[in-house]
Amino acid sequence: MQANLLRTFARRLFLDRQAAFWLGPGGLHARVVEVIDETPDARTFVLRPSRHWTGHQAGQHTTIEVEIDGVRHRRCYSISSAPSDPQVAITVKRVAGGRVSSWLHDDVRAGHVLGLGRAAGDFVLAPSEASAPLLLIGGGSGVTPLMSILRDLDNRDAVHDVVVVVHARRAGDVIFGRELAAIATRHPGMRLLVHLDDLDEARLARLVPDFAARTTLLCGPAGLMERVERMWAAAGATPRLRREQFAAPPVPTPAPGAPVAVRLTTADRTVLAAGAGTLLEQLERAGERPPSGCRIGICQSCRCRKRRGVVENLRTGAISSDPDEDIQLCISRGRSDLELAL
Amino acid sequence: MTTPSRTLTRDEADAFGRELDALRAEVLADLGQPDVDHIRAVIRAAHRAEAAGRLLLHFGLGPVSFVLGSGALGVAKILDNMEIGHNLMHGQYGWTHDPALAADYEWDNACDGGDWRHSHNFEHHTFTNILGKDRDVGYGFLRISPEQRWYPRHLTQPIVAALLAMNFQWGVATHDLRIDEVSRGKQTRAQLRERARPFLRKAGWQLLKDYVVYPALAAGNAPRVIAGNLLANLTRNLWTFAVIFCGHFPEGVRLFHQDDVVDESRGQWYLRQLAGSANIEGGSTFHVMTGHLSHQIEHHLFPDLPASRYPEMAPRVREICARYGQRYNTGSFARQLGSVAGKILRYALPTARAS
Repeated sequence: MQANLLRTFARRLFLDRQAAFWLGPGGLHARVVEVIDETPDARTFVLRPSRHWTGHQAGQHTTIEVEIDGVRHRRCYSISSAPSDPQVAITVKRVAGGRVSSWLHDDVRAGHVLGLGRAAGDFVLAPSEASAPLLLIGGGSGVTPLMSILRDLDNRDAVHDVVVVVHARRAGDVIFGRELAAIATRHPGMRLLVHLDDLDEARLARLVPDFAARTTLLCGPAGLMERVERMWAAAGATPRLRREQFAAPPVPTPAPGAPVAVRLTTADRTVLAAGAGTLLEQLERAGERPPSGCRIGICQSCRCRKRRGVVENLRTGAISSDPDEDIQLCISRGRSDLELAL
Repeated sequence: MTTPSRTLTRDEADAFGRELDALRAEVLADLGQPDVDHIRAVIRAAHRAEAAGRLLLHFGLGPVSFVLGSGALGVAKILDNMEIGHNLMHGQYGWTHDPALAADYEWDNACDGGDWRHSHNFEHHTFTNILGKDRDVGYGFLRISPEQRWYPRHLTQPIVAALLAMNFQWGVATHDLRIDEVSRGKQTRAQLRERARPFLRKAGWQLLKDYVVYPALAAGNAPRVIAGNLLANLTRNLWTFAVIFCGHFPEGVRLFHQDDVVDESRGQWYLRQLAGSANIEGGSTFHVMTGHLSHQIEHHLFPDLPASRYPEMAPRVREICARYGQRYNTGSFARQLGSVAGKILRYALPTARAS
């Protein structure tokens, strides 16, 4: 209460801006202390977080904020380091045409400062699960959150009965290959299976016959995830399957003007934006009354935060899928289902 | 006298608009690090000027440090209101996704940011110079054109304008309250009270900041700090008044009637923005101090582009205007200000109505 009052006071007298200017940004950020090449297209960035960092649980992800040519971008990355490590490691695979991953690979060196978000996510082991038989399945860069979990178990000498299945296209593409092998050597309770062929249901069942009895942690490309989900469902083992989805970028609808579902997070309802015109006109037709003004894209009255989804800017023709960006409803059109902070 | 603008057909107007759209798209595609570096440098300068001003006022002795301190604080407020506040609040830096550069910026001014975004960004920039729609035309009480009806109260307008200049932030702050509508029965007192809430809250904090908290921190030097803050606010008020009055009120700027803009196309909207604005010539420091409102024409054509791009766009806008036979109203600060002062004096009298 008192802290709130003090904050209001500081903000109203612009002391917060003064303080941030003279004392440096108070928020959470991290300095890159080391960059490690893992595979030809995956790099680990070892970060030293500022003192606001509250730690993470093995398996969680965090948000990295970067500024590229004056524009800020945010991306989620799984943490690959163990919680006991004071430094935080993220492992980034270069995505073809990916602005942020390419920039991290090409421009970031030790000493760089990046914006950092809090650790989040429920892809973690409950204390009771750690001693149960485990199965960790990681495809491609999906091995990163599993690495954090495995390092944590290794640190606590709690690797009792763990099967690790790693899938990659080539041997050289296996991230953390050497360290995984080293942990496996240290702990007789760990079995490491590196698989380079297609990992289909039959092969997986042959590799891990008792899969249905194991608490399973799964992270990888969509195809692998779907196959495993089907297999576990067929075996009635879905309750023991935990998944970490790398949020795939939303794909724009092929036809401009196709109806899209708009989730309004403040109002807590979903409406259909359909028919001619801009998002503003469509929302108004659906019975919504978002704030608006000039209706020609200059006054910013209808500016609102897009949480996720793809929009087309009708003045510039630009299509953007960045999460958490501000859009102007009167010059935007939805090109996928959207989530707006309205 | 400059030749007046040629009347364009709708097709010509749209071709004119397409050329401006192309210029806009070109600059938009080029935005990047230098733009962010510029606005951050201005923000840094404003912070430093404010700190220097307050330190000189609080701890200095004698008239020299008083004048320097008040001046530095005045410069800080001018930078904050013009190049930083006005431009950020237009959303000119929204593309950076940097929360410190977002349109919800709150400035060091008695006017609430939300009120400003409504009365300025929406009403003024959408309905620019349309009589009865743009409440910035003479701010509802000054007669700056023969097209406005004369009332006896206009006889006092030279004095009213001088008072407005000295208290300009309060004029801006109460502009969105539409106080004049109460006496004309278009707004009830209860509506006014409701509408005035953001203003009262913001103005209260501003007064508390400049005239209670900072003087209290100065203890024995409190009277000097109060006087310094008054002087800094006065400096900013006079400066912003002068710049803003030169933007829309000099000789040659056109007013429009609501009938003129029925079914207005985008090209015609551009033409109205051009005809309703005037530029002031000067150097780069002058332009920054005006928040680049010295390029009022470019600002009204492209209100959402970073203002620091206006000087490089101006020659090209001018060239396009020349090809379409459109007047590009520009002049020195002295000339434009003199022209505005002349109009305020001339149109105080009823005789000038005929034209």
